[in-house]
Amino acid sequence: MSSPILEVKSVSKSFGNIKALDNVDFYLQKGVVHGLLGENGAGKSSLMNVLSGIYLPESGTIKIKNQNIHKMNPDIASSFGVGMVHQEFRLIESFTIKDNLTLSKANIFTDNFEEAYEKYSEIFTLNSSYLTPINELSVGEKQKVEIMKLIFKNSEIMLLDEPTAVLTPQETLQLKESLDQLSQEDDKTIVLITHKLKEIKDFTERIFVMKNGKMVAKNLETEKVTDQELIELMMGEVKTSNFKKDNKKGDVKLEVKDISLTNSEQFKSLDDISFTIQSGEILGVAGVSGNGQVELANVICGIEKEFQGRVLINSQDVSKKGVKSRKKLSLSYIPENRLGVGLAPGVSVLDNSAIKEYFKASYGPHLSKGKMLGYLNDLIKQFAIKAPDVKAEISTLSGGNMQKLLMGRELISNPEVIVAAQPTRGLDVSAVEAIHKLIINQRDKGSAVLLISEDLDELFKLSDRIIVLYEGRVVKEVGIDSATIETIGYAMAGIDE
Amino acid sequence: MNKYILSKKLYRNELATFYSFLIGFLIALAVGSLILFIQEKNPFDVFSLMLKLSIGSVNSLSNSLNKAIPLILAGLGISIINSVKLWNIGAEGQIFMGAIALNFVYINTSINNSQIYILLLLVSGFLGGAFCILFPAITKVLFGVNEIITTLLTNYIVFGLTIYLINGAWKDPASLNFPAAAYVNESVYLPTVLGKLSSGFLICILFTLIAYYIKDKSVFGYEMRIAGGSELTAIYAGISAKQKAFFAMLIGGGFAGLAGAIELLSQTHRVSTGISQGFGYTAIIVAAITGMRPIGIFLVGCLFGALTIGGSVIQTIGVSSYIAEIIQATTLFGALIAQFFFSYEILKKDEND
Repeated sequence: MSSPILEVKSVSKSFGNIKALDNVDFYLQKGVVHGLLGENGAGKSSLMNVLSGIYLPESGTIKIKNQNIHKMNPDIASSFGVGMVHQEFRLIESFTIKDNLTLSKANIFTDNFEEAYEKYSEIFTLNSSYLTPINELSVGEKQKVEIMKLIFKNSEIMLLDEPTAVLTPQETLQLKESLDQLSQEDDKTIVLITHKLKEIKDFTERIFVMKNGKMVAKNLETEKVTDQELIELMMGEVKTSNFKKDNKKGDVKLEVKDISLTNSEQFKSLDDISFTIQSGEILGVAGVSGNGQVELANVICGIEKEFQGRVLINSQDVSKKGVKSRKKLSLSYIPENRLGVGLAPGVSVLDNSAIKEYFKASYGPHLSKGKMLGYLNDLIKQFAIKAPDVKAEISTLSGGNMQKLLMGRELISNPEVIVAAQPTRGLDVSAVEAIHKLIINQRDKGSAVLLISEDLDELFKLSDRIIVLYEGRVVKEVGIDSATIETIGYAMAGIDE
Repeated sequence: MNKYILSKKLYRNELATFYSFLIGFLIALAVGSLILFIQEKNPFDVFSLMLKLSIGSVNSLSNSLNKAIPLILAGLGISIINSVKLWNIGAEGQIFMGAIALNFVYINTSINNSQIYILLLLVSGFLGGAFCILFPAITKVLFGVNEIITTLLTNYIVFGLTIYLINGAWKDPASLNFPAAAYVNESVYLPTVLGKLSSGFLICILFTLIAYYIKDKSVFGYEMRIAGGSELTAIYAGISAKQKAFFAMLIGGGFAGLAGAIELLSQTHRVSTGISQGFGYTAIIVAAITGMRPIGIFLVGCLFGALTIGGSVIQTIGVSSYIAEIIQATTLFGALIAQFFFSYEILKKDEND
C-alpha cells in the first residue's frame, strides 16, 4: 500500500484534567472512505479539530502529503487540502448557493463555476438553481452545499462530522452514493465520523475506533470486521452493578401510552412509545443521543405539548396539563441541559434554587425572600452543596455542585415520579457517585424513575429494566438480569439480531 | 509566548456599580473641566455656580427635582423592561404618547372633582405610554422582531403624530400660530408641595418604590428574572417567557407615559414639542449607569436633573449649557468602562493551555 496522505502520530490534547486525546495515531489512504467510530465524548471531534488546525495538540506529529507540519492552524490545514464539515452548518443563510460555494479565497472554479456546479449538483442530486438562497433549502440540501463547499475549496481530505445526523434514510442513502463517487472519480480522501454502526459499515472501507480519548482500533477492514467486534471496541467492558436490586416495587406511577411526536418538517422524533414505571423502579432509557430522548422527557414533563398519545401520572391523565400542574402531581424533571434549561445562567444561586416551587414561597403577588433562603439552606445542608455566596451568579458553582443543587431542588420534596436525563454527564467520579446514590435513595423511598443516559455503565448499575430508543422507537425492552452489553449495543446501533 | 485573555470575574463587588458611577462621574468632571479650561473659564468657578444654582436654594432645588421626575420615571420603566433582558429605546415616544393620551381624555371628558379628574388623567397618561409600546411588544412576542429597532422607530412616529396634532386638530387658535394644543384648565394642574416642587415628585417616589417592589420582591419580578436568564429555563419552570416580556414592556411603557402626563400637568400644561427635551434618551443613560436598580435610578435621576438645571443657568455667564450634557454622557462612558473592569479581569495565559 502507498504511503498515507495524512499521518498523525501520538497526538495528545487535554482540556483541564480531561485527556481528550491520549497518544492517538491516525492515518488515511488517498481515495478511500474511512470511518471514525466512537461514543459521544470518545475524542472523535477533538481529533478532527486537531487535523483542521482548530486545536493545537500538546504533543505528537502531523504529516500531510509527506510534509511535517509543526504549527498547525486552519489556514495551513486548508492549504494542505484538509476541509471539515461541522455538525452545525457554517453557511451564510441569506446568501445564495453560489455565493456560499465561492466565498473561500481558495475557490478553484472561478472561471467555470457553472460547469462545476452542474457536475457536482448532479453527484449530490441537488435539484436547486445556484441562485437559490440557503434559507430556502431543507436541512438535507444545506448539508449537500456544505460538502460541496469543500470540493470548491479543493479539499482533498474531507472530514465529515456526523453528516447523517440530520438526514432522512433516503438522503443518507444518496449521501453514500455521492461519497462513493467522490472517492472513486475525484480520488477524494474522506473521513466519516459517526457513532452509528450501520452507517459505518455501509459507507466505509476502513474503520478506526476511539474510546475515552484513545485509538482502540486502527485501519480495520470494514468487510472483515463484525458488528460485535465493533460494539465491544466502542463500548468497552461494562462493570456490573454494585447496588442491590432487591428493591420492592409497587403501583404504577408513570404510564406513557402510544406517544408520537411529529415536528414541523414532518419528521417523526417519537414513534408510538408506550411503557409503565412502578413505584420503586428505575427504567433506564438507552440510546445514542438524538434518537428521541429529549423529546420523550419533554412530552412527559409537559414542555412539549403537540404530541399524540397519553401520559398518566398516578393513573391520572395529564396529557393536556401544563408544566406546573404536573409538578403539583409530584413529578420532577432533571433535564439534560444543566445550565440553560435546568438552571438559568446569569441568575443568582438563590433564584435558581427556587425554580421548581417558587410559588410556594409566595403570598399572592409577594415573594418571600426569607422562605426562599430557608429552603435553599435546607438544600445546601441536605445535599452537601458548596455554595459560598448564594446571591452570586449560578455559574460561580462547580459543575458537580450545580448538578447537586439541581437534583436537590427536584428531589427534596420526595417526588413520586422522576425523569432524569444524563444526570452525570461531564461530572467527576466522586460527583457521579453522589448523584447515583441520590437516585438509588429516591428509588428506595418509592419513586418511579425514568433514567435517560448514554452511559451504559450507569444504566446497568442503576436500572431495573432498560428500553432502547432508536430513531424515536422503542426497539428493545429487557429486564436488567437478562440484559447484556451486546443486546443493548445492537439495539442502539439500530441492528436487529 | 504568553497570551492575555479577558475572563469574566465570578464574584463581583456588591458596590461595583456604585464605584463605577463615582469613577465615571469623576472622569466626566475632569473632561468637563478640560473643555472649560480650553474655553478659558475657571472650571471651579463654573461648577460651584452650577452647584449653587441647582441645589443652593429651595427654588433651585425644586427646579432640579422637577427636571428629575421624567428622567426617573422613564428610567424605572426601562429598568423593568430590562428585567427580561429587553431594551426600551422608546421612552421618548412613550412620554409624548402619555401626554397625548392625557389630552385626548381631557378633551373628551369632564369631571367636577379635580382630584379624581387628575387621577384619571394620570392613569390615561400611563395607559398612553403602555399603548405606545404595544406594537413593539406584540411584534417582539409573536415574531421576535428586535425591540430596540421597533421602540426606537415608534419615537419618530409619535413625534410625527404630536406635530400633526398641534398643527392640526388640537391647534390652539389663541396660541398665535405657535404650534401647541390648548392649555388645560388650571384646576387640573398638579399642586406644588415645596417651593416650585411639583407633587409629581411624590408620585415619582411612590413609583420608585413600586418598581423596586416589582423587580426585587414580587413573584412577577422573579419570573421576569428567570425568563431574562434563559427562555428555556422559563419554559421548563412553567413560566411563559413571552407573557412576562409582554407585560414587562407594557408596564415599562406605562411608567414613561406617566412621566409625560406629569410633565404636562405640572410644567407645560399643554401638548407641545416641549413635553420632553430628550428625557426618554437621557433616561437610558440613567438606567444604564445604575445597573437598572430602581433606588439608584432615583438618585442618579435627581443628580442629572440638577445637572440639567445647572447647565441651563451657567449660560448667563457665557458657558454653553451643553457642558451639562457632556458631563452626563461622559459619566455613562466612564461608568461603563469602570463596570467593565469590575466585571472582567485580564489573565495571563500560556499559549498551549
